[in-house]
Amino acid sequence: MKTNYLFSHRFKKTGWALFGLGVLLGFFALFVNETPSFFDLKVFAISSDGLFESEDTFRIIKNNIFNEIVAVLIVIGGILAAFSKEKNEDEFIAKIRLESLVWAVYVNYGVLLFAVLFIYEFSFFSVMIFNMFTVLIFFLIRYNWMLRKLKRMTLDEK
Amino acid sequence: MKNNIKVERAKKDLTQAELAERVQVSRQTINAIELGKYNLSTILALKIAAIFETEVNCIFELEKNDWESK
Repeated sequence: MKTNYLFSHRFKKTGWALFGLGVLLGFFALFVNETPSFFDLKVFAISSDGLFESEDTFRIIKNNIFNEIVAVLIVIGGILAAFSKEKNEDEFIAKIRLESLVWAVYVNYGVLLFAVLFIYEFSFFSVMIFNMFTVLIFFLIRYNWMLRKLKRMTLDEK
Repeated sequence: MKNNIKVERAKKDLTQAELAERVQVSRQTINAIELGKYNLSTILALKIAAIFETEVNCIFELEKNDWESK
């Protein structure tokens, strides 16, 4: 009964900080053509040149890891911000969490369907890169907006 | 589902915040239940009844539209 797969409340602030940093760095990477060269490192790659298409598998390759750092920050930060318990986590908050998650999955696949139908070639992959994060981003927006709305509603009552 | 938590709170001279603390939920949850915006769990209903020293049936009452499919 007690299992709810959530992190402790103390991870929430860390989550938001990592997530914010990731989003900032992500925008930075979007607007500069080249990310700093000291991020050029040798990495282990299971595949790097067309999955199942080449023999270029399980090798050490050179890669600029800036994008990887951004993605890791957004994913880990976003997960912690979204799925750390509230100070007083209870069944009603669990319901809002679930509804927001359903909503975020709909948005995510809505964007996917739209992209499949109307966006082609290289632009499709740009949209997909953004869409990797929409579940987390739209969950965070919807969930926190609902919590804030509830808090305001409660303040109006005696 | 109708409820008379507000009346019971007044009888016991409890604020929403005090009741929330005693049944270990947030104040928002008590407010949403009072306003009929959230159907609470059986455990929470039993806890609230215990605080008010009464039966669950005396606090919560089914309405006709609770029988309609949603």
